[in-house]
Amino acid sequence: MLRIMFQKLWHKKWMNLCLLLGSILLIATVVSFPLYQSAAYDRMVQDEFRSYYSAEGQWPGLNSMIFVSQKDNGGVAITRMENFNDTIFDDLGVTKKDTICSYQLSQFEAVSTMQREDMSVKAVNLATISDLENHVKLLAGEMYSEKGVDDDGALQVVISQSAMIKLQVLVGETIKLKGSKGIDGKEIRLRITGIVAEEDPADFYWQEGLDAKNNVCLMNFDTFKEHFTGENARRYTITCKYFSLLEYDDILADQVDHLAEATRYMANEGPFKATMKEPAYLDILDSFLTKRGRIDATLQILQIPVLIMLGAFLFMISGQMYDMERNEISVIKSRGSSGGQIFRLYLYQMIFISLLGGALGIPLGAVFSRILGSARNFLEFDAAKSLPVKFTTQTAEYALAAILVVLAIMTLPAIKHSRVTIVNLKQQKALKKKSLWEKLFLDVILLAVSLYGYYTFSKSGDELGKSVMMGKSLDPLLYISSSLFIVGMGLLFLRLQPLIIQFIYFIGKRFWRPASYASFMENLKNGRKQQFIMLFLIMTISLGMYHATVARTILRNAQDNTEYVNGADIVMKEVWIEIKDLNGKPTGQYVEPEYDKYITADFADSYARVFLEDGVKCENISATVMGIHTKEFGRTATIDRSLTEKHFYEYLNELAVVPDGVIVSRNFETKLGKKVGDTIAYTSKYSAAGTATGKIVDFVDYWPGYAPSETVLDPDGSAATYENYMIVTHYDALRNDWGVLPYEVWLKLKDGHTSQEVYNWIEANDVHVAKYVDRAKEIRMTSEDPLLQGTNGVLTMGFIVTMILCGVGYLIYWIMSIRSREMIFGVLRACGMHKMEMLQMLMNEQIFCGVFSVAAGIGIGQLTSRMFVPILQQAYAASKQVLPMKLIINASDMMRLYVVIAGSMILCLAILILLIFKLNVTKALKLGEE
Amino acid sequence: MDEKNIIEVSGVNRIFPVPGGEFQALKDINVKIPRGCLAILKGRSGSGKTTLMNIIGALDNPTSGTVLIDFRTVAKMSDHEREELRRKDMGFVFQAVSLIPTMNAFQNVEFSMRLAGIKPGKERDKRVEECLKMVGLGNRMHHMPAEMSGGEQQRVAIARAIAHRPKMILADEPTAELDSAMAAQVTKLFQEMTRKEGITILMTTHDVGLMDAGDMIIELEAGAQVLGDKE
Repeated sequence: MLRIMFQKLWHKKWMNLCLLLGSILLIATVVSFPLYQSAAYDRMVQDEFRSYYSAEGQWPGLNSMIFVSQKDNGGVAITRMENFNDTIFDDLGVTKKDTICSYQLSQFEAVSTMQREDMSVKAVNLATISDLENHVKLLAGEMYSEKGVDDDGALQVVISQSAMIKLQVLVGETIKLKGSKGIDGKEIRLRITGIVAEEDPADFYWQEGLDAKNNVCLMNFDTFKEHFTGENARRYTITCKYFSLLEYDDILADQVDHLAEATRYMANEGPFKATMKEPAYLDILDSFLTKRGRIDATLQILQIPVLIMLGAFLFMISGQMYDMERNEISVIKSRGSSGGQIFRLYLYQMIFISLLGGALGIPLGAVFSRILGSARNFLEFDAAKSLPVKFTTQTAEYALAAILVVLAIMTLPAIKHSRVTIVNLKQQKALKKKSLWEKLFLDVILLAVSLYGYYTFSKSGDELGKSVMMGKSLDPLLYISSSLFIVGMGLLFLRLQPLIIQFIYFIGKRFWRPASYASFMENLKNGRKQQFIMLFLIMTISLGMYHATVARTILRNAQDNTEYVNGADIVMKEVWIEIKDLNGKPTGQYVEPEYDKYITADFADSYARVFLEDGVKCENISATVMGIHTKEFGRTATIDRSLTEKHFYEYLNELAVVPDGVIVSRNFETKLGKKVGDTIAYTSKYSAAGTATGKIVDFVDYWPGYAPSETVLDPDGSAATYENYMIVTHYDALRNDWGVLPYEVWLKLKDGHTSQEVYNWIEANDVHVAKYVDRAKEIRMTSEDPLLQGTNGVLTMGFIVTMILCGVGYLIYWIMSIRSREMIFGVLRACGMHKMEMLQMLMNEQIFCGVFSVAAGIGIGQLTSRMFVPILQQAYAASKQVLPMKLIINASDMMRLYVVIAGSMILCLAILILLIFKLNVTKALKLGEE
Repeated sequence: MDEKNIIEVSGVNRIFPVPGGEFQALKDINVKIPRGCLAILKGRSGSGKTTLMNIIGALDNPTSGTVLIDFRTVAKMSDHEREELRRKDMGFVFQAVSLIPTMNAFQNVEFSMRLAGIKPGKERDKRVEECLKMVGLGNRMHHMPAEMSGGEQQRVAIARAIAHRPKMILADEPTAELDSAMAAQVTKLFQEMTRKEGITILMTTHDVGLMDAGDMIIELEAGAQVLGDKE
């Protein structure tokens, strides 16, 4: 059996190689998905934690617990709490960074034992923090000893500088806690051994700073526990705090679900729920989970068409192979082999191919996932940015599923074929059947469904963006609609194509030269056989075009928006110091940082002062006021010419000549009915600043940094769109009315200069920066967003895979279909048909099938892009889209597609020529004799 | 050269290279077939009948010797000239079913006329019908090959071979797949055609019953001529 199997594999080696190629690609595509996801999500979860850390300055992985142990008999509560804290990291499934534990006795009145006159009675807390000795530096005296107790029974303590001042005690002094009872039955005495300060205030250890502990005396942790907890706890009221810090850098995406669930259980339902509040990291995890769900859903949907194409490819090739072996099968069958035996023979062959496909496909999948992770743009990769590859059980599940699916697709047609006997084979050959889809009007149904989807989505445009923003994933129907549209249009074309050919045929029915005549007859009578390859070609091309357009459009629009919203190369704001009056109250006036220093910034082509304040009251609306110097602003800020009616400079010139002029956003005209020449008054939300007035000189739809409307998530989780109003005025005029107010500095970099130089300059000039936005970096970050990157990666992989399929599928289909007609070619040649005529005949057939499909594919691709990409883009961009959407159809992508198709057609032609010139007429004729 | 002969084969040898040596398919064949003659080429399978047919049909070249078709030396003709010769002056009937499966009977016959460059029009259509009637298929002109029996298909092939009025028809085992009654019918048809249309027909067969129908018989045995034109 094995020998027969390998013989058969070898006999149809080209077919089997194609099947292997298809299997490898399908398995690789399927496997690359979980591989990419796990790596991308790990990166994403860590990014989320890191950005929280840098934004909030707080350790993002913190659980804090607090409870008060009141005269607890046996100190059971504390013991339980400590045990809980020991196991919490295991329970949560994370790595322990540190646990900081602090205990504090309730307050006692303390008096000095030195009978000092200047020391009054003070309230003192005796407390301890675990591992304190390793996180403080001594300012005076020494640290408490390891024993923690002096020979006379006094407890050694250290205090902070603020406590030293407040308590007015000295190093070496002993104080007594009045009314307290120590381990020895006497009043507790504390001996101050040293003054300490935080060694590194930024250390995560300092969840509670020493500054706040200005009446706290800190003693040795172990000594505290010996004296006041356990059996002794019944005499004291102890406030216990535990800070358990987890190592967020070690948190992997697949641990997030458990972590969130376990944390929520502890905080809300667990035995210690009362001591614990929901930690801040839950929000980080929730936001990650929402994003992940959205990305999962989106990327999965995007992959479906490619997987279907791969499946169709395998189905087509295996079907063709069985077709070619029909005679053989029917002969074996008639000689007594059972259908089961024949089926098993094919099954073993296909198992071999699928397993080999798996063995090669899984490593290729790893390569794919690396490529996915390094996608910068459509068909653009950044090798330096590739993700590590991680095999998980999920990968194995996906791989196994893919192998089984491949096997099923390739083997199922064999069931049908193994039933064929020579009798019904001949019967079948005589039958002409209409395809099932034609009878069912599947094309019309698919088109109707997809157009309904199109209609619904294009009507609900804004809502779509909002629902995505609210954390819903992209509606699969939207994407499926576009795919159905492509299939429906493709089928419709297949229905029309024979009519077109028939029409051309009828025009010159009697006059067609033999070659054309033969090809018309071939196509009219046998065209149905080609429907599959035609649909395959149409879908490959239109999907390729559509995907290229989707990827380019989404990314380009995201980048354009980022570019627009950040009005200049660098936007920075220095720290402004507010002037305080004699009583220390803020006056609302500021000290202006020296502006002249920017002259030394030689990397800047120009720079501009831009005052921005939102929430300014103007009539009954709230507006953003922008105060500028027209000349500086014109040189520094940028805006795409297509966004404004007149050139941006013309508006600035209009404003420049009217000292009290303002340029306002278009909605002042459309919503408030203002006209040019009207005067508006606007008041700062800060009471100190007065009211300013301005005469409207012009209206603008777009302005550097201005978003006409904005969709935000309301606290109740629903999204709403708000109109933004903007008033652009002279900074100097505003300064007269409102006083000196903090402005931003916008910079335009000279060509070839980078933001690194800006950093260096900021360091060198000791500039304190409150806000810093680097536009180039923002744009770069846009393309690294996992959703956009994943989309780009998946669509790029899809594009490449479909191009390979398109080329290989077309070639194999034609070569096989021509080989199966070799005998007829022999007859034609024997009857005296010239080689060139034969070639022309085959070329005609290729035109009817190939060129027609390519043309249809291009048309359908264009149409689908124009219809569906704007909707999809809206869903992706959600709130971030402020500019009008631009459809990006990249000529070079299309070129690549055309080159691949033209290449495979030329190759196909070359092979045809070779076949025809090599065709041995006498041999070909003999084929028919058997 | 004899004026009345349309086919003259003299001293033809055909040697095929085979692994480990050579195989002589034809040994010194000399055949002269006069115009309007129904010549039968007989012999067992493997005796070289098809090889000789292929050489006469300008599909294959002899290793040595000359073939004259209608006074022209085949060896001196270009590929293109041979193709023209085949499409205009010859008609072929093959042992196996050789109709173009995508064309119906009428179109198959018409196709050979198109190949021969016969102008479209009523004349051509009439000729197609005439030929199909001649083979007894006047009522099945618009059937597809798959809808006809093997005998019917073979008769369409014969109609196709004669439609463009070739000077000769080369038929390789045209009756092999037919029952004896049908075979006799086809042979009779050939006989009539040589009489009515003056066509020269060379057919191969190993059916002894058909031998009598021939005007002349050439017999091959293991590549050598044993009977026939031995002048």
